[in-house]
Amino acid sequence: MSAAKLWSWIAFIFGFLFFFLPLIGTFEFSLRARRGVYSFDAYSNVLSDPQFRETFTYSVVMALFTIVLGVLIVAPTAFWVRLKLPKLRPVVEFITLLPLVIPPIVIVFGYIRLYNTSSYLPLTGTAFGTNILMMCGYATLALPYMYRAVDTGLRTIDVGTLTEAAQSLGAGWTTIITRLILPNVLVAVLSGAFLTFAIVIGEYVFAALLNRPAFGPYMVWMGGNRAYEPAALAVIAFTITWACMALIQLATRFSKHTRAQR
Amino acid sequence: MKHTTKKYIGAAMAAALMLTTALPAISYAGAMEDLEAAAKKEGMLTTIALPHDWCGYGDVIAGFKAKYPEITVNELNPDAGSADELEAIRANKDNTGPQAPDVIDVGLAFGPQSKGEKLIQPYKVATWAEIPDNVKDADGFWYGDYYGVMALGVNTDIIKTMPADWADLLKPEYANSFALTGDPRASNQAILAIMSAGMARGAEPGQTSGEKGLEFFAELNKAGNFVPVSGKSGTIAQGQTPIVAAWDYNLLAWRDGLKGNPPMEVIIPSGSSLAGVYVQAISAFAPHPNAAKLWMEYLYSDEGQIGWLKGYCHPARFNAMVAAGKVPQELLDKLPPAEAYNKAVFPSVEQQGANKKAVTEGWDKVVGAEVMK
Amino acid sequence: MTTNHSQAVRPLRPPISMNWIGAVPFMLFALLFLILPTFHIVVGAFRTPDGSLTLVNLQGLAAPNIMSAAWLSMKLSLLTALLGCVTGLLLAMAITRGGLPSWFRDATLTFSGVASNFAGVPLAFAFIATLGRLGLLTVVLRDWFGVNLYGTGFNLISFTGLTLTYLYFQVPLMLLIITPALDGLKREWKEAAESLGASGAQYWRMVALPVLWPSLLGTFALLFANAFGAVATAMALTGSSLSIVPIILFAQIRGDVLQDPHLGYAIAFGMIVVTGIANLVYIVLRSRAERWQK
Repeated sequence: MSAAKLWSWIAFIFGFLFFFLPLIGTFEFSLRARRGVYSFDAYSNVLSDPQFRETFTYSVVMALFTIVLGVLIVAPTAFWVRLKLPKLRPVVEFITLLPLVIPPIVIVFGYIRLYNTSSYLPLTGTAFGTNILMMCGYATLALPYMYRAVDTGLRTIDVGTLTEAAQSLGAGWTTIITRLILPNVLVAVLSGAFLTFAIVIGEYVFAALLNRPAFGPYMVWMGGNRAYEPAALAVIAFTITWACMALIQLATRFSKHTRAQR
Repeated sequence: MKHTTKKYIGAAMAAALMLTTALPAISYAGAMEDLEAAAKKEGMLTTIALPHDWCGYGDVIAGFKAKYPEITVNELNPDAGSADELEAIRANKDNTGPQAPDVIDVGLAFGPQSKGEKLIQPYKVATWAEIPDNVKDADGFWYGDYYGVMALGVNTDIIKTMPADWADLLKPEYANSFALTGDPRASNQAILAIMSAGMARGAEPGQTSGEKGLEFFAELNKAGNFVPVSGKSGTIAQGQTPIVAAWDYNLLAWRDGLKGNPPMEVIIPSGSSLAGVYVQAISAFAPHPNAAKLWMEYLYSDEGQIGWLKGYCHPARFNAMVAAGKVPQELLDKLPPAEAYNKAVFPSVEQQGANKKAVTEGWDKVVGAEVMK
Repeated sequence: MTTNHSQAVRPLRPPISMNWIGAVPFMLFALLFLILPTFHIVVGAFRTPDGSLTLVNLQGLAAPNIMSAAWLSMKLSLLTALLGCVTGLLLAMAITRGGLPSWFRDATLTFSGVASNFAGVPLAFAFIATLGRLGLLTVVLRDWFGVNLYGTGFNLISFTGLTLTYLYFQVPLMLLIITPALDGLKREWKEAAESLGASGAQYWRMVALPVLWPSLLGTFALLFANAFGAVATAMALTGSSLSIVPIILFAQIRGDVLQDPHLGYAIAFGMIVVTGIANLVYIVLRSRAERWQK
């Protein structure tokens, strides 16, 4: 074995240990709920906790709404910019990179100061308004990923020719977007959607400062008040993130097959 | 004739006397019904900073909900400190939404502060007379609700020798072990823990206890024994904060909650015993003032006070209720031993205020700047 | 709008203005929920409570506790970015050209995708469960190897512990970004260098590293910004008493612990400046690096 190969193996093993030991450790810790014996008590405590169900449902529903909002804002815009406003592309791309630059805590601080009850748009005045505000905040956080996914998807299909062909056959804009563009970028949209889902489920800062009963603050609260349930929650959260990524992989592989069939 | 007139006058006076003593009760009962009706019309009560295992608030809130099912209880941020509660009122002055708290439960020193900033409104509950004078505001703005003494909670799986007092905590065997329950700039429990440490060094309660306490914590931090984490039952059990200074009622509730896995011991410092009082108040901008008043009536009723007692707290009307025989013996037995309370020091409002000022302004300078290594 | 005054020649529908409408929803959304809030914060950093312009808030940033928090945040971000870069580069080299089985690469990249999103609260729990006082690794080291981890002075709630935790999402991010760059190192260059008599080390020093340099530096800046703004992991690990900048801002927003409402604006502004500069460096260097990848 050459020296390079030896060092590669050593590096890989170290990397493997660093990344898998915490996962194993978390799982083992979550099994310690019953003194002296390994059991799944922590998991049953968590899953039967009504607060878990409430906050988890809230976050899942919020994630779904965020995905819909994100798709509705990003997909038509990306399509339109590519087709009709190519000069605007750099501006739009810069805007979609802003959420990665500005820390989320600053964004939510801005929301609290800007949209309180003494402003033009008193969103934090009601629970419903705050939910809307948080949904828009989450859509903003997911904007870079959603836009990049959809834009990559649009790049692979020749938007200009397809649209012209459809228009020459008499299709209106709605038909073009819903029956021509969306099905072709569905895979890209799906991967953006799963990423958004993973982000929203674990998000903490927005939910904590806007005082909404989401999953993130629930997890932090559990971390301070329970001994073994937080580890169980971490395992559940990791499994969900893994499932989202696996679904993205599956969706991309599925699309490759449909492409090949043509 | 004179006799009968006298008898009639006597009877009339007796009747008048009975009526005047009965009238307040009758008018009170009427007022209570009006209050209940108004509160039910408002339909919601927003509380803040009430963890369910703090003085048995979980059961207290459940009892309120069972008694008044028409009123939804909206619980904000259970981990908020006293300063966070005041900030929540300030930030939601014009807000009638669910982020605005109706009622607050803060440390004694925060009562005058919130009165001065005009954040709270006065209200005197029916049992006002039974609350001791030194823990309530004469105008009715804030009123003491319960008290306990500062103690140390220890995870006995990790720590093998128990500390007996504050001074022991400086020993090298307690490296990376001790934590407060929150930010000393915001949490009343943390501020009074520092006061307790200062008093253990011989300082009088007030500004000197704050200063000596901060010195102690600076030494603790330099020795490497202080962990800058908010200690709670979870962090005690998971091992980040094996020793935490908190109110005895909290430590006892956490010990019960952990059910021996891991086992926890509650130690009251042998030197001096610091008693801390919390006070209730209604926000001046409360979106649901009648529900807030009803909540206060409930808390200060026998039912509410016993609810706190079950959470190991001594409620404000404790002495009056024990004298009237309203407290079951089993509950009295479960409370922490009385010696700690007999020699406990109850700092006055002014002393607590001076201590709070010294701590909140001095923490960053004396300790905070080097908290993280 | 149009400067064409001739009625006869004006087209029926000026195409430009209609097209701009299509971009309106996105612009409105970005304006309301991204640009205006940030602008409000930036402006607020320069205003007093009565609305006049001032530099007092920014001067308030010079307070010792905020300066030490800023220094701590910088140290933490720089160290995790540096370690993340080096470790990520070594791992990326191992899986792309280290002669390992080919499926290692895909598996590692997939896992990196998951791990870089695992940041936040669950990550803190995972590290407490592994390296905490009662964590698996601590117990194993104590019982199987006789090593008392905490006796050596190690503590998860310390600079070292936090660095380790942050690396869990920094290294995968580096892996994901640098692997395509490593792929861009054409095989022909190595062969050409070898045919001219260069050793492996010389190839790296004179060909590969200069090509990779913009990517490396750029990703370093990105990792720095990533660590600087991270708040959930640190909060879940330590509660709100750790003195790093995002946590101070959090405590200030929640409880006005600094007893000066406008200082929050200044802190937020400071954060934007730091992460803004770091991201600018990344973007500039990335466009330079892409020259080689064409």
